[in-house]
Amino acid sequence: MTHLAPEAALSVLPRADGSAKYSYAGYTVTASVNGPIEAQKRDEQAYEAVVDVIVRPAAGVGGTRERHLESILQSSLSQIILITSFPRGLIQIMLQIESTPENDYVNTKLVQASLNLAIIPALLQTAVLALLSAAVPMKATATSSAVAVVLQDDGAKKMVVDPSPRDIESAQSVHALIFTSHDELLLAESEGDFTVQDWDQAYEVAYNVCCQAEAKKAGTDMMIDDDNDASGSDMRHFIRSTMESKVAADLHWKR
Amino acid sequence: MDTPPTLSLSRSTFAKLSPHPYLVANLTGQGRSKSNSSPACCRTNGRTPQQARPLQVHPSSLTHAHGSALVRNGDTTVICGVRAEILPVSNIPQYRPRSHGEVDSDSSSSSRELRDYDLLVPNIELATGCATQFLPGVPPTTLAQTLSTRVYSLLHSCHLVDAADLRIWHNPKDSSSSEAANAQDKMDEDEDANSHKEEDAEPQLMAYWVLYIDLLFVSFDGNPFDAAWTAVLAALHDTKLPSARWDPDREMIVCSPPTRSLRLSGLPIACTAAIFVEKEHGDTGGRHWILLDPDRLEETLCREVVTMVVDCSDGETRVRAIEKHGGTVIGRELIRAFAGVAEKRWTEVQKSAFLTDK
Repeated sequence: MTHLAPEAALSVLPRADGSAKYSYAGYTVTASVNGPIEAQKRDEQAYEAVVDVIVRPAAGVGGTRERHLESILQSSLSQIILITSFPRGLIQIMLQIESTPENDYVNTKLVQASLNLAIIPALLQTAVLALLSAAVPMKATATSSAVAVVLQDDGAKKMVVDPSPRDIESAQSVHALIFTSHDELLLAESEGDFTVQDWDQAYEVAYNVCCQAEAKKAGTDMMIDDDNDASGSDMRHFIRSTMESKVAADLHWKR
Repeated sequence: MDTPPTLSLSRSTFAKLSPHPYLVANLTGQGRSKSNSSPACCRTNGRTPQQARPLQVHPSSLTHAHGSALVRNGDTTVICGVRAEILPVSNIPQYRPRSHGEVDSDSSSSSRELRDYDLLVPNIELATGCATQFLPGVPPTTLAQTLSTRVYSLLHSCHLVDAADLRIWHNPKDSSSSEAANAQDKMDEDEDANSHKEEDAEPQLMAYWVLYIDLLFVSFDGNPFDAAWTAVLAALHDTKLPSARWDPDREMIVCSPPTRSLRLSGLPIACTAAIFVEKEHGDTGGRHWILLDPDRLEETLCREVVTMVVDCSDGETRVRAIEKHGGTVIGRELIRAFAGVAEKRWTEVQKSAFLTDK
């Protein structure tokens, strides 16, 4: 399964403190970040900032599935944001899903209650880019990847990075993992039928996608774009290069 | 011990004033009198970190539900009722007709049926006055909605219920022969005409059973997902569906008293642990404890939670779901190790009564 390289644009919304638009593997998400701002009296916490994540689906209004995505993203993002620096504050992250992969085989109802793990990478990546764009202080950045374990006709198991809805439909198990830039596992969500060994392999594949920036930087930078096809895209390098080009564009007047 | 009376606090005061240091003090065994022979590492509720609360299951506790169970895990009590309702295929939008001979090529076609036609509808109610943080009469909290999604996803991803059990077929040949047996005094020519007409008729799928799985938290003391999932499992095991058939004369489905129990494949059991770190307010470093089956106090103090759903009923350990978020303590090694803890919990739960009596 090959996807086009991920695309991102930073600070796309003029009125928000920070924003980002990210599209990859058929998902397009726009995020806006406001903060740190004053939290409502009812929600404020005396020792740390409240991180508020709102996920809006591409069509219809958010249901229980969006609440679940919000709660897991909230717990992951509040780990990497330096929330203790802003007591009684609020950092609001709004994620608007703009498009999801089209599929003729899968019956796509407007409101679906079941969890879609493949959307977690897109949501997280957009949120991290928007947080960077808003210059919210963070301990680390995070990268994410989804892996599906597909049983092939010959009985061998194949790891599909960033699976399409069709892959997920036929997959034995689907895994979504988030790593911090310190190579720590921040989130692991899996469903399906698998063994601990399968999970281990999926972890390995996702780790290679998310945490390989240092290894590849040893080679020449020019080579990186060509290498991407081998093992999916390298998310950490992607976030870095997106930020670099944004900073270069912003500081263009200095030259 | 001669402590000045001005500085001494009772346990409950200490717990209320500063819960985090209170739990740290308990886990490190500080301030415990020497004469006490309890183990060095002990939680505020007296359990060891890897000790779960005893599980009690009472199936068939509701009279008017098709299946029900009351599950008690320590002070967390959930009651689950399963109610089956008939969904005629004519009421399903975008219904794709299926023929009788059609076999499920794989489990995915059965699970697609369950998902596309919404044949399993779990709902969780927390606003029952089960704990002080859930106010009654307000819209469902984030926790309730999250739990509903998790139960719904797990129900579908485990392929626990087979869609074949929920189909209501109409077989014209069967009904004509049974009618003949019942009504001997029918006109001969009439019967002949009937049998001729229905000889070549294929069995038709007339309706589905929809299972409404409602969960009410009677009391809430942490670890809601494990209790809720066990209640769902126990209630589905207890579920007996009425035998339904299509009555061609009245053009409706008629039911006789419940006889057929639902076949469930596998026995996935959830096992949740919270990770308690020594340093408060997100500081890294310091010790951590993995607290199995956390109670309400522990849940409020822990950010990182890991849930693993395992099924060892085939002899081999199959993992059905992993959910880990909220921290970076649990890495690859600890997840692998946690699989062992989940296996142990599976054996414990499996021994509990609700499965042996079947």
